[in-house]
Amino acid sequence: MRKKDCGKHYDVVIVGAGATGAGTARDCAIRGLKVLLVERYDFAAGATGRNHGLLHSGARYAVTDQESATECISENAILRRIASHCVEDTGGLFITLPEDSLEYQKTFIEACNKAGISAREIDPDEARKMEPAVNSKLIGAVTVPDGAIDPFRLTTANVVDAHRYGADILTYHEVIDMVRNGTRIEGVVLRDRRTNKKITVEASLVINAGGIWSQSICNMAGVKVNMFPAKGALLIFGHRLNNIVINRCRKPADADILVPGDTISLIGTTSSRIPFEDVERMEVTPEEVDILLREGIKIAPCLAYTRILRAYAGVRPLIASDDDPSGRSISRGIVCLDHAKRDGLEGFITISGGKLMTYRLMAEQATDMAFNKLGIKDPGCTTSTTPLPGSGNTEADIQERTSKQHIIELSTDQKAALGRHGSLGMEIARQGDDAIVCECEHVSVGEIKYAIKNLHAESLVHLRRRTRLGMGTCQGCLCACRAAAILGEETHDNEGAIEDLKMFINERWKGMTPVAWGKTLVEAQFMSWIYAGIGGLEGNATHDEECVPTRAKMKIETNEV
Amino acid sequence: MDYQIENISPNNLEDCTKCTICTVYCPVSAVNPDYPGPKKAGPDGERYRLKNASFYDKALKFCLNCKRCEVSCPSNVRIGDIIQMARLKYDTRPVSLRDKMLANTDFMGTLATKFSPIVNTTLKMPVTKRLLHMTMGIDRHRIMPRYTSETFDDWMKKIAPSQDVFKNFVAYFHGCFVNYNNPKLGKDFVHIMNAIGYGVKPLGKERCCGVAKIANKLISEARRDAKTNIRSMETAMAKGWNVLATSSTCVFTMREEYPHLLGIDNTAVRNNISLATTFINKLVSDAKVKLVFRDDFKARICYHTPCHMQKLGWKIHSVSLLNMIPRVTLVPLESMCCGMAGTYGFKKENYEFSQAIGQDLFDNIYRAGADIVATDCETCKWQIEANTGMRVENPITIVAEALDWEATRKANGLT
Amino acid sequence: MKYDVIIIGGGLSGLMAGIKLVKRGFSVAILSAGQSALHFYSGSFGLLGKIDGHEVTEPLQVIDNLPHNHPYRRIGIDAIPFLAEDAKMLLAEAGLTFTGNHLKNHYRLTPFGTCEPTWLTLTDYASCVHPKKMGWKKATIVNFKGYRDFFPNFLQDGIKANGLQCDIAEIDVPEVTHMIKDFSETRATSIAKIFKGKTLDTLAACINRAAGKSDVVFMPAVVGLESEQPIRQLKDMVIPSLMCVPTLPLSVCGYRSQICLRRYFEKLGGVFFLGDKVTKGFFQDYRLKEIETANLEDIHLRADHFILSTGSFFSQGLVSTPECIYEPTLNADVLQTQTRIDWCSKNILEPQRFMEFGVDTDENFRIKISGHAIENVYAAGSVLGGANPVQEGSGGGIAILTALHVAHSISRFAHIIQRIDQFNKE
Repeated sequence: MRKKDCGKHYDVVIVGAGATGAGTARDCAIRGLKVLLVERYDFAAGATGRNHGLLHSGARYAVTDQESATECISENAILRRIASHCVEDTGGLFITLPEDSLEYQKTFIEACNKAGISAREIDPDEARKMEPAVNSKLIGAVTVPDGAIDPFRLTTANVVDAHRYGADILTYHEVIDMVRNGTRIEGVVLRDRRTNKKITVEASLVINAGGIWSQSICNMAGVKVNMFPAKGALLIFGHRLNNIVINRCRKPADADILVPGDTISLIGTTSSRIPFEDVERMEVTPEEVDILLREGIKIAPCLAYTRILRAYAGVRPLIASDDDPSGRSISRGIVCLDHAKRDGLEGFITISGGKLMTYRLMAEQATDMAFNKLGIKDPGCTTSTTPLPGSGNTEADIQERTSKQHIIELSTDQKAALGRHGSLGMEIARQGDDAIVCECEHVSVGEIKYAIKNLHAESLVHLRRRTRLGMGTCQGCLCACRAAAILGEETHDNEGAIEDLKMFINERWKGMTPVAWGKTLVEAQFMSWIYAGIGGLEGNATHDEECVPTRAKMKIETNEV
Repeated sequence: MDYQIENISPNNLEDCTKCTICTVYCPVSAVNPDYPGPKKAGPDGERYRLKNASFYDKALKFCLNCKRCEVSCPSNVRIGDIIQMARLKYDTRPVSLRDKMLANTDFMGTLATKFSPIVNTTLKMPVTKRLLHMTMGIDRHRIMPRYTSETFDDWMKKIAPSQDVFKNFVAYFHGCFVNYNNPKLGKDFVHIMNAIGYGVKPLGKERCCGVAKIANKLISEARRDAKTNIRSMETAMAKGWNVLATSSTCVFTMREEYPHLLGIDNTAVRNNISLATTFINKLVSDAKVKLVFRDDFKARICYHTPCHMQKLGWKIHSVSLLNMIPRVTLVPLESMCCGMAGTYGFKKENYEFSQAIGQDLFDNIYRAGADIVATDCETCKWQIEANTGMRVENPITIVAEALDWEATRKANGLT
Repeated sequence: MKYDVIIIGGGLSGLMAGIKLVKRGFSVAILSAGQSALHFYSGSFGLLGKIDGHEVTEPLQVIDNLPHNHPYRRIGIDAIPFLAEDAKMLLAEAGLTFTGNHLKNHYRLTPFGTCEPTWLTLTDYASCVHPKKMGWKKATIVNFKGYRDFFPNFLQDGIKANGLQCDIAEIDVPEVTHMIKDFSETRATSIAKIFKGKTLDTLAACINRAAGKSDVVFMPAVVGLESEQPIRQLKDMVIPSLMCVPTLPLSVCGYRSQICLRRYFEKLGGVFFLGDKVTKGFFQDYRLKEIETANLEDIHLRADHFILSTGSFFSQGLVSTPECIYEPTLNADVLQTQTRIDWCSKNILEPQRFMEFGVDTDENFRIKISGHAIENVYAAGSVLGGANPVQEGSGGGIAILTALHVAHSISRFAHIIQRIDQFNKE
């Protein structure tokens, strides 16, 4: 999306619309700043959308990193309140296997309690009863308040709310340079990836929330931060295997968390340092798949014979510690850099480190710093108590209310939509089009149209992030072309929609190929029959799922450079 | 790596490739707007139900458990079982009196046969029908099956000594229909088996196979009955007897639904449970027995494949058996659901759909211009009789009618 | 139970072979473990549409360029014309009428409005001699209000790109509108169940009204579920030419083809076991003696000849594990590459290696087990390796022609045996 008033002067420009950037935009906007959020892809396109979707209790960090653990448990409680529609309270288990040590479990519980995480040791038998998917050979179990969180919904809700508070948002705009005046950054130069036009935006302050790409943005500003890209691969299984998050109670290692996320379960992750050049091309290798399975089976044996829908990988944006002159050790926790203090460069902040769990806290810290630097009176942060749009009403509340209002029972599809969009889900019912687009994930025409109109969705990949379109068993075999047709209608660009369709099915394909055996290979064959066979689609679908949507040819005012 | 060799999930849930083939073969979704169809009610819905039980859709009750989705599935997904299991697991509404009445075939049968003349007359009266329709929800268009005055069980007891003279024996699972409504079919079966040299033994303790109780969610009762039946069958097996039934639905339920829906292990007896026509056809084709037919039995017969027979895959046996009758012209009917599905069609809320489902079959039967419709299922029989006015018989009854008893006995070395 | 020939797999290939053999006087049984991939039929059978991404005009001219183990090479270029003609005749007898011939490809219209070279197209489906010579002046695309499995906008763009004037009209047939609004499922096949008798009149009237001055109307393929009769009836009532365009699967013509072929096979006296699968084969001296099936259990099926037409991965004719690909029914040898990393291309629209995998046979399509040819078991259709049906546009052709070829081999062989028997007697 884009706004006409790009020429105006902003208080802050925030670079990167992952959870942190979106959260910062929201916080700044709520506190009354004039905000522009720029993103070169779509929201949640980087590390935000490529993790476990785990609502950490902090327990995982308790032994090794008390600070992170404390932050997590505090944010955990906040997110349950302010983002109830993005959170599922599944609870979590830390299990000790015969090959692990019960001594560690003891240390673990103590560390949790010290961080304020309620960790309760339970009998292994009770754990087996609570979560039948768990490896029955476990010798110890501890319950913690883990949960599941949908990073796409969370980021979208932040963006939508920031926009509601007056923030401007530009997607598919890449920062290519900084406007520099002596020792001061006074704005950014953007490239509109649709038109290739350059735009200069003036701002009192630039906040760099670029995740792994923060390094390049700093380079443009002439300051140096070192990022360590760490690749993490995950596998998505065909349906819910567990209803409670299962963690391995040991020092964090490969494939030791199984998270139930919406209709699926995911196991992850691996961890490997990769060169910076590779961060744009994430492919899961057969070796990574094998590691994930081999290790994953130890926590839940059913992974050995459950169909895998797809594999994906993300990059952890680890940042070098400023304390270490060698630049080799990684900073733990949140890093909020005032480059004036650090490098003598005014008007520039980098917010990095941290994790999805602490996005709000990171946003709060960055915004606090922004006010400090701008010298404006800070009205104070309220994001820990202000619910995000869609939150505030539990699914059950809405269901009860709607069924009372309409005296009819909600259909499975309507229930699914309410689950995804929380209290905003009623908007979808108002679209009045219940015909189903995505059969696996119960996404209706109404929900697609709602996402296009209200959630800044311009392409099928966006629609997937906003609604779960094509995330189910068939990975878009049936729904991709239905949704493409709707997108074509809504945007009056059929040609663009077909290109988008090719890109979308190819993005689905990319995730399926590392695990294309058994029924997943059959699904691949089915997809190939429909699109390459019956449909006769050809040509090179781009590998880049973040290719620019070709539609939305709105004119914008620009300051040519 | 030696894992991920196959996907093992309950009812092959995740083998579903979302190909949608099942949807065109579902008789219900074609006529009932509220039914989500087998794909959505089955594998699609199950993924959401696994997430949260509140995603259960009450419209699943419209599934008539014909299993035609399963027969059509290229990936062996037990779609019907997924749907039925969901009903049993998630539908928490109490079972109505009507459903209890319809499901408790043994109880109702025992009661009704005692007063059969009164019951039969009363059930035929329009007043009763209207009353049942209004108060109970049993559709007034339905003709309740007639109850017999002497149950098949009683008859078996009377003739028991005559069965001891044979060298070979089979145990007979007569089922509720033969016992309370149509003992003639059971008698025909006994006579045929006797003529080919087999004595027929009662199963001992026999309960309803459970199909009606499963359909009406009376699971603990169905389990109890199933366990009794399995025990009786084990006893029969120990004596070396095969267990035969004349109803395809009873056979199907005991072989397939016991393990899949009731969670009862029947592996010890499963392969020993068979349908009478299957057993006899095999004996004949292995040249172990001979059937000799009369020259003067001439008929044009069309065979209707009941849904559960289709699922069993045993149509070939009934058809082969009927084809042995020299002057019978057999007209195969396209296999489709008649719409009755046991107690399903009796319910007021299902009547209209039940009729709509069966309409194509009725049309085909009219067109076939047959003298008799043969079918292995009693509820198909009621439905087709009521809607076409045709004579509908179990193949066993037709064979009995066509058999030259003397010659057959002689051909099998009996005097 | 004993038959002359048992065919394992009841899709296009199995049914074509079955029909041919029953007509030759053999007793034939087909075992089908569920419904076939024919249900996704586009309305056209391709013989050879493309080689290495280039369109083929005359398939017979380029068959020799195909790899050595391609099924067409094994049939031989001389036999193909004869088999192709035979196929068209058998299909017509089953009630499926086609336009097109094997000498020169024509074009089918895809749901996205592009044209793909093909061999046979059902007479009710849209086809043309050449994309640039569609032969009409003005087209109207009709669609039912709210029907989402058909994409008039995409179709319109494609047709316009070929130089044909084209507009879109929404039609409102009350029965369909009701279904779309109230029914949980509105697939092409469920709509097709509505269209018989009076509703066809309504549909014809709606189309005529929408067509205006157009001389051709493209509509979603939702008529004629069990036979061609309803679509013929509709065509008679519609003033402009009427052409069906494929919808999202299930396809109406796929169901129709399956039903028509199966009914014809049964009418000729063939036995069709639906929903049953082979659980074990009993071999002796490199011959398959009998098979055990899931439903028939201890009642084994015996035959002189067997045809393996179990389809590819979708129909479980081939099964893949992380380590390998195997043929699950008889454990026949399979052509494949070593590691799974080679199976798929990175791009969905590029050729996929796994599509080429399949049963390895001798020159006569007889399967091999551990390298030994099995004398009386032939493979036909998409279970065969050596071809990439999607890339070549050859799926239908391979299914049909290999089936008929194998049927001929069996009857020729049986004929020779008969002659030898006769000779021995004399």
